Amino acid sequence: MPSLKDIKTQINSVGSTKKITSAMKMVAASKLRRSQEKAEAARPYSSRLEEMLSSLASSAASGEGIIKLLTGTGNDQNYIVVPVSADRGLCGGFNSSINRETFKLVKSLEGDGKKVQLMPVGKKSRDFFNRVMKDQILESFVDLNVSSTGYESALNISNKLQELYFDGKFDKCILVFNKFKSAISQEVTQQQLIPLDVSNSEKDEEKENTSNAIYDYEPDEETILQDLLPKNVSIQIFKVLLESDAGEQGARMAAMDNATRNAGEMIDSLTLKYNRTRQAFITKELIEIISGAESI
Amino acid sequence: MATISFDLVSPEHLIFNEEVGMIIVPGKDGDFGVLPGHSKLMSSLRPGRIMVYSEDKNLLKSFFVSGGFAEVNPEKCIILAESVDDISVLDKSIIQKSIEDLEKLDDSKSKEQLLIANAKLDAVNSIIYNKI
Repeated sequence: MPSLKDIKTQINSVGSTKKITSAMKMVAASKLRRSQEKAEAARPYSSRLEEMLSSLASSAASGEGIIKLLTGTGNDQNYIVVPVSADRGLCGGFNSSINRETFKLVKSLEGDGKKVQLMPVGKKSRDFFNRVMKDQILESFVDLNVSSTGYESALNISNKLQELYFDGKFDKCILVFNKFKSAISQEVTQQQLIPLDVSNSEKDEEKENTSNAIYDYEPDEETILQDLLPKNVSIQIFKVLLESDAGEQGARMAAMDNATRNAGEMIDSLTLKYNRTRQAFITKELIEIISGAESI
Repeated sequence: MATISFDLVSPEHLIFNEEVGMIIVPGKDGDFGVLPGHSKLMSSLRPGRIMVYSEDKNLLKSFFVSGGFAEVNPEKCIILAESVDDISVLDKSIIQKSIEDLEKLDDSKSKEQLLIANAKLDAVNSIIYNKI
């Protein structure tokens, strides 16, 4: 049976853990609000860019150069997978679900005989893939801090990807990231970044084409498309980074909330145990005194 | 008189969203003015200044953009720009210093930035017509 002192120390240590987790929860909650605002602020740009792109996409025939971002290289042998995780832990299943999903995706692509390379974003996925498939990592990006550095951080990734793409290093690029659904739930999502997947916006496109009639283009459609496509890649990455950042804060908030609650329950049960033990000692001492007195 | 709704958007946020009288946009092939009822137009932009005029053609605001896209239809003008600065808060000496710094470097990226910085300086120096 543990002594009273042991239980007391345990209660104290759980208590201080509780303090830490509840502080982390508060921090995550305020960061979440900020990240959410950022993600929302970025939405008008990306949605308008998408609109523009979808009205232009139809005009793009298969071509050389930058248009390849839209039409593809015509191959699908070489893949590059970009898992987007957080830099820090203590956020529940946020990072491990990304890593698990990416691992599964890579294995299934390899099962189909494709060549897969990785470009992890965030410390947690870099560390994970450094352990399990080190030789497939092309490059990694850590400490991005998207909420403070903003668009710059996305540009770095996007420039690197495009450089590799035009060097013919890969044919398809898939992002794996946590889509921000609400403050407490994130959904692991795969998104094909290169070549651009216009299939899901096709329905809107038809609608728009009827209402949008004909645009004048200045200088001309192709030149605009050539400017627009690389920008779209960066913007898509930026959007994903922001979503993932908001998701991370949400996940951390939920995880820390759980931890705080668990710590509270643990303190309750330990306090009960402490009181019982104390009572048992008192009773024992009383019995000893009474039986001592009786025997005299 | 009619107005046209004008959106200026950067990747980070929506910068400007109001009903205005006229916008002058630095298109790739030259500046163009957008009035209410403009025909449908899509254009890419060069580094330069955007000037926003109210209905009675008084200058409301001027911005510097480093490039981007404009989409115009009769009711709306949307500009997607990568980096936007309010010209009234730009400081000439800071830009000049950054031009000097960039001139020392010699790679394609800094050349591009130099081009933008020079355009920025031009935009700050040039005369702004407060009323048209």
